[in-house]
Amino acid sequence: MSNEVLHAHAEAITVHGDHHEHHHQETFISKYVFSQDHKMIAKQFLITGMVWAVLGGLMSVLFRLQLGYPDAHFTWLEDILGKWWVKDGRITPEAYYALVTTHGTVLVFFVLTAGLSGTFANFLIPLQIGARDMASPFMNMLSYWFFFTASIVMISSMFVETGPFSGGWTAYPPLSALGSASPGSKTGMDLWLIAMALFVVSSLLGGLNYIATVLNMRTKGMSMTRLPLTIWALFFTAVLGVLSFPVLFSGFILLIFDRNFGTSFYLSDIYVNGVGALQNEGGSAILYQHLFWFLGHPEVYIILLPAMGMVSEILSTNARKPIFGYMAMVGSMFAIAVLAFLVWAHHMFVTGLNPFLGSVFVLLTLLIAVPSAIKVFNWLTTLWKGNIRFTPGMLFAIGFVSLFISGGLTGIYVGNSALDIHLHDTYFVIAHFHIVMGVASMFGMFAGIYHWFPKMYGRYLNNTLAYIHFWVTLVGAYLIFWPMHYEGLAGMPRRYYDYSTWESFKQFADLNRFISIVAMIVFATQILFLFNFFYSIFKGRIVTKQNPWNSNTLEWTTPIRPGHGNWPGEIPEVHRWAYDYGKDGKEFIPQTTPVGAEESQH
Amino acid sequence: MSTTTVSATTKWWSGGKSPFNVEYGKLMMWYFLMSDAFTFGAFLISYGTIRFSSTGWPDPNKVFSSYPFMPEGAHAPLVFVSIMTFILILSSVTMVLAVHGGHQMNKKVVVTNLILTILGGLAFLSCQAWEWTHLHHEGAWWGSNPFLNADGTQSSTNFTNYFFTITGFHGFHVFSGVIINIVMLIMTLNNVFEKRGHYLMIEKAGLYWHFVDLVWVFVFTCFYLI
Amino acid sequence: MEQSHALHIENHGGGKKEIINVTIILSVLTIIELALGFWLMSITNETIRLTIKGVIVILMLSKAFYIVAYFMHLKHEIRNMIMTIVVPLLLFVWFIIAFLTDGNSYKNLRNTYDPYKKERSTEKVEKKEAVKEIKKAE
Repeated sequence: MSNEVLHAHAEAITVHGDHHEHHHQETFISKYVFSQDHKMIAKQFLITGMVWAVLGGLMSVLFRLQLGYPDAHFTWLEDILGKWWVKDGRITPEAYYALVTTHGTVLVFFVLTAGLSGTFANFLIPLQIGARDMASPFMNMLSYWFFFTASIVMISSMFVETGPFSGGWTAYPPLSALGSASPGSKTGMDLWLIAMALFVVSSLLGGLNYIATVLNMRTKGMSMTRLPLTIWALFFTAVLGVLSFPVLFSGFILLIFDRNFGTSFYLSDIYVNGVGALQNEGGSAILYQHLFWFLGHPEVYIILLPAMGMVSEILSTNARKPIFGYMAMVGSMFAIAVLAFLVWAHHMFVTGLNPFLGSVFVLLTLLIAVPSAIKVFNWLTTLWKGNIRFTPGMLFAIGFVSLFISGGLTGIYVGNSALDIHLHDTYFVIAHFHIVMGVASMFGMFAGIYHWFPKMYGRYLNNTLAYIHFWVTLVGAYLIFWPMHYEGLAGMPRRYYDYSTWESFKQFADLNRFISIVAMIVFATQILFLFNFFYSIFKGRIVTKQNPWNSNTLEWTTPIRPGHGNWPGEIPEVHRWAYDYGKDGKEFIPQTTPVGAEESQH
Repeated sequence: MSTTTVSATTKWWSGGKSPFNVEYGKLMMWYFLMSDAFTFGAFLISYGTIRFSSTGWPDPNKVFSSYPFMPEGAHAPLVFVSIMTFILILSSVTMVLAVHGGHQMNKKVVVTNLILTILGGLAFLSCQAWEWTHLHHEGAWWGSNPFLNADGTQSSTNFTNYFFTITGFHGFHVFSGVIINIVMLIMTLNNVFEKRGHYLMIEKAGLYWHFVDLVWVFVFTCFYLI
Repeated sequence: MEQSHALHIENHGGGKKEIINVTIILSVLTIIELALGFWLMSITNETIRLTIKGVIVILMLSKAFYIVAYFMHLKHEIRNMIMTIVVPLLLFVWFIIAFLTDGNSYKNLRNTYDPYKKERSTEKVEKKEAVKEIKKAE
């Protein structure tokens, strides 16, 4: 499908440079709905992502309610959610699994992939490399609308009679392939697959655009080694997406055939209670896991890399110091991007993977510690003796580094196949990936929003609300996920509906309640952020300085509220890298400043 | 490589131009094809994985041994599929000639070769349709495999499952390639490219078409030969 | 865009002669492949069969090389572009090795721990009507 699009529209916009010159009358539809302006598309991605984040967060509050208060009866919930979801004041088991599954899918793909890299790749790539727009604005628009359609399908799966898909966000067969095995694997699963397929198309259209734009559309003087680290990160993210999503797509097609056309790609030797033995023979459920994690692992870095890039940029800007080890940062991101493709089976140590092959994957997995450690070291040395301005964006960037360290260290535990025998599928794993990938990337996203909000809307966010948001979220995140390490080490398995029936986990009843309470407080704080966001779009303090953060990068050379085409006149030429802070006694030197005669080398 | 304009001192990466000296559409096409290569790669590797995890597998020479209007009882392995392969290679050649004609702004060459390419694509699709129908009459379909393993043991249905899925997906690509080429043909006949001053669109369509041929090289080897 | 287009015109080498040469090479390679395929039918020795299959795979890769390099024109592009396309394809190496190794291991594990399955997989059967798999009961 996308190839026709490529053909039909790649040429239509060849004379790209004069986009800004014809100021054609923009209608409401062409400006806010079917907009081809990368900045508007970025905002569309951001706000859709926020809607999803609220829904996904709300789901986690609901299932935390069940985990924290397994004996309570919240009869009022029944009035709000209906009988399928809540019976006798308790979340039903079917609903619980549906909530867990949808929470995972939505946050991983719809919030932290589309909402994060969709927003900031669209917003920052043209602005920071000095381009009028993306290589193909039309494809960019399509990318958003495919995402939007995927969202609609995913939402509609919540309202079908048998409920949304409930086999876990990884959708392992045979459970996900057999409608007869679970009500959650019936229509809900079909819709889930359709939504995900549309999502893959969206991310492919976006990714191709990002790659072509970064390579081809850089302004004069903007060599690859002068790119801000954000752009490098978003570039690697796009490469990861373009190469790994198709593998997931293939895996899903095979799953669709298994579900609907009687094939047995993933099915063999199955007995379903109430149905009997199935005739499917010769397939391998492990094959699906391989295909899924071939995307699934790069996906982790698709989520994390944009956050890393933005954090690097924000740390350097607000520490008023050049980023420490620019080339090492680029190199380590490249290493992470390559290793991301080589380690997928570390998610499968105990699912029937060949143990010897597992040991190779352990080795490759632990190698990721090297570039990750380089990055952490460089962030810390960038902060070292810096003249730090604690703006909300900066706080979230520092919070990201903290979370990345805490979550990354536990990765070394679960990356060992021997330790993983004990730790797999426990709360330890939940704690690990929520801190390192979930919360850390959310922090990167918040940092980006606080830092670039003035560029997006020409207004500032309220700082007091932002500080409350930061401290509650940071402390809350640690209070939620740190105790889960202990539960996991004690062997408490994930994905169970009610732990109070287990003698060994009764000791955690209070801890679970505590986690649930903090989760609700943190969720409420995010509502505070949303209020701040939407209020400030219309009523925030107006930006009067073109370059409010005294930053070097190109986006701050555009007008405060840039139109479609970004720069009113010529695109500025770039003469230096993005990190000349505190050089030769000058506080900052924008990239557009020519290199002076007596300037020291950088 | 004509290095006349591409001197070694050109600063390709310094910004303000394409580092690869290609317009973005072609770049996107290439990376789209890379992505598609991973789709097909994943299919073929899945097929390999299942084959490696099976104790036996049918002998392709016993399965694919017919051609249209064949005398009763004859056994002609590889004959029909080699015809299909040559059709696709030849259509790829005519596509190159069309692209070549486009470089020389020769509308007539482009039109002739595009028509030949479209005919080649249609011929390939017809062959595939015949083969699918023939196998279906023998009882083969998704979830149904009438063939035994080479050693005479019971075969799982995954032989036919993968055959129909992968050749079907490839056939779908050939089909969309034919559609793209028809669009290109209409655009050429309407002098769209003449007016534009270049035939770069044909080049991108060509890349897609060659990719389809490339995939067939792998599908052909994996399913019919080994 | 415009100036890169102007440069582009100069940037295609080869010409008709190259196309003809590559067509001949591709045809010859295909014929060799087919000949090996026919030869394969008469051979029962597993080692020789595997060797022939290996040769066929090498021929397949060389065909792929000719199509990509000449028909798709990659050889005449700038070296850096060739690298951005060829280097990511190296990911296929580990992709293939890991998947196939694990597929093979799955077979061995099942043959070791599921004696019934192993026994059944060696039973010879008569060719009969298609073994239809019932569509999963809803």
